Amino acid sequence: MDKLLRNKKAILLFIAPAFILFTAVLFYPICRAVYFSFCDYKVNYPIKFVGFKNYVLLFTKDKTMRIALRNSLFFLIFSCVSQLIFGLLLAALLTNIKFGRNLFKNIYYLPCVLSSAALGLLWMFVFTPKLGINQMMASFGWISDCTEGPQWLFNTDGYIILPIIVISVVALWQYVGQSMMLYMAQISGISNDIYEAAYIDGATKTQAFVKITLPLIRPMVATAMSLNAIGSLKFFDLVYNMIPEGFLGNRAHVLATHLYDQAFKYNKLGYGSAIGVVLLVMCLAVTLFINKVVKCENYEM
Amino acid sequence: MKKKLLSVILTAAMTASLLMGCGGSADTSAPSSDTSASTEEKADTADTADTAASGEVQEITWMFWDDLNATEDLISKGYAEVIERFNKDYEGQYHVTPITTNLEEYYTKLNALVAAGETPDVFICSPGANMNDYALTGVAAKLDDYLADGWKDTFTSDAVFSGSTYPDGIYAVPLNIAAACVFYNTEMFEAAGAEVPKTFTELLDTCQKLQDAGYTPITISAGTAWCLSMVAGYLCDRNGLVLDDVKEHKTDWMDEKVINAGLQIQELSKYFQKTAAGDDNDIATAAFYNGEAAILIQGSWAIGQINGSCAEGFAEKVGVFAFPAVEGGNPDANRVIAKSDSLCMSATTKCPEAAVALMKYFTDDTAQKYTAEVGGKIPVTSVEYDTSVAPPELAYVMDVFRNASSTFGFYNESLADTEAGSTFDNCFVEIFKGTDPATALQPIQDYYEMNVW
Repeated sequence: MDKLLRNKKAILLFIAPAFILFTAVLFYPICRAVYFSFCDYKVNYPIKFVGFKNYVLLFTKDKTMRIALRNSLFFLIFSCVSQLIFGLLLAALLTNIKFGRNLFKNIYYLPCVLSSAALGLLWMFVFTPKLGINQMMASFGWISDCTEGPQWLFNTDGYIILPIIVISVVALWQYVGQSMMLYMAQISGISNDIYEAAYIDGATKTQAFVKITLPLIRPMVATAMSLNAIGSLKFFDLVYNMIPEGFLGNRAHVLATHLYDQAFKYNKLGYGSAIGVVLLVMCLAVTLFINKVVKCENYEM
Repeated sequence: MKKKLLSVILTAAMTASLLMGCGGSADTSAPSSDTSASTEEKADTADTADTAASGEVQEITWMFWDDLNATEDLISKGYAEVIERFNKDYEGQYHVTPITTNLEEYYTKLNALVAAGETPDVFICSPGANMNDYALTGVAAKLDDYLADGWKDTFTSDAVFSGSTYPDGIYAVPLNIAAACVFYNTEMFEAAGAEVPKTFTELLDTCQKLQDAGYTPITISAGTAWCLSMVAGYLCDRNGLVLDDVKEHKTDWMDEKVINAGLQIQELSKYFQKTAAGDDNDIATAAFYNGEAAILIQGSWAIGQINGSCAEGFAEKVGVFAFPAVEGGNPDANRVIAKSDSLCMSATTKCPEAAVALMKYFTDDTAQKYTAEVGGKIPVTSVEYDTSVAPPELAYVMDVFRNASSTFGFYNESLADTEAGSTFDNCFVEIFKGTDPATALQPIQDYYEMNVW
């Protein structure tokens, strides 16, 4: 077998299936998208090469792009920070409880496996003024009428508008289970001997968490943060399903919804591809940044 | 050598299993709850394919912007009946399969199908910027030859084809006409001592009276931006804006008439329901037929929606009037916003005979009678229908339509392209939210400067 694996032809053969599939479903479409981003491309119309025109328009004239970038960056920061904190907290809590661990693990992870579109509709109903939260507030007498309460999904005041904050919280609820599972997997891999040694030396549970658990799960923090960052940059489903058509005068756009509108609603596939390329570059840059910042060494656990 | 052979076999097996995995997932992607339905569909498709191969049944597709099974809209239900009737009458010869989606995603899905080379044989389309994308690019077929066999003579006049007529011919067949009107609750008006307004100032007075009497004067959707922009279109027109002048750059979006329209929207918005910013069209319309608001400014397709969902006896309480004039504005205050649902035929359809036969079913007497008597829309053919059976609101809409000096399209569908239309919608949503009209209109001004002028 060793001899076989040293054979370059054999290596090539083994790599070939994955390479062909990767090229066909990922690499080739990305290359096409990059090419289209330099074109004026509309369905039913001939493709015209326009150089950097789409990118120039995107960064100099497109006000919605600025809003989308701002909202996406807010999602990115909010999601990375909140999921790190709550994911770790839940993981630490669940690894330390004796009863009901699996039950709570399933409860927290359940939203991750449900359809984002369905959840988006569900939460939209929850935040609709005449239903859900406002109705509940009115029944408790906190507001005189359900229409008097906060316009959770329609208020457009402020630099970061309330609907974007609301959706960020919903996204946290939906995806915190995923971070929790990753951290739990890493925490459960830490040897009990290390904790026992620490407790013998007089360490408290908090000290053990800060001095042992946190440093040892750093590799997973980098992985989870990268996944969160990429997920939040290409965030689409909840925004699309919870915000009404028109995206509140374009103020509730994120990069993915702006891409969708431009490419499919307005039939500007070239321009949409340019947004896609910007999104790709951002995802790569953020992943590189996180991996640089959260430097870590793998310890024997 | 044996090892090499083994590695080749293993690689081939790996590739095959990967590809099989992909294929398998597509098969199992149907929701488990729909197993019986999907099995039936598969059986149907297989049967059709078999018969089509033997040259017996020609399969065609028809694309529409509402779910025919779940809809409460009476016009959509009428379309479902047409499809059923067609499939029954042409059993063994033609068979049509509807492709349905919601209105918001309709053109996106249609464009995706066109790009994939799977243009539906017949598809519904709104005249204006949307239709341009299909008529001017060769996606839709020219229909003059098919209309020339006497079919065209069944229509009320050539004017019904105005939205679908291009320099080289006609590209769509209208199915019905809807006029944008003001629907009002006569009981609430009576209780508030309000009268039907003739001018914008009178409309504000009427709203004030309704509000003083404890009613929500107007229900409207700014969440579904075109609803608000329909009112904006009326106000622009009543202030005297000529859309062609904007197109030809004889004037621009900073014109005093558009600014005035913006200020009037802001005045009127004091009387909208509190949740207008987020309510979608369905919620806003429901507020009217549930008796929560006195006025609904909407296209006459709302008749079908209202009568499909309202409590018994509500239709008798509904009155209709034309959008009021603006003092000192356009002297012709009888212009009406009108729109038609139109059918286009794919230029690449393999069976134009079946497609045309289907289109004829939509405009035959049975379908057109249904349009008026049940759906409450204005028929496009000279069909005689029973006015005593038709919804009472239709007679009022017909009055408004008859008194109209001319018609014009929805602003968002009549601008340079669909993005210009959406930009216009969004500008007026901004104005509604309190932004100064000159500032809020800057995006549409910029859009025209960059893309149109």
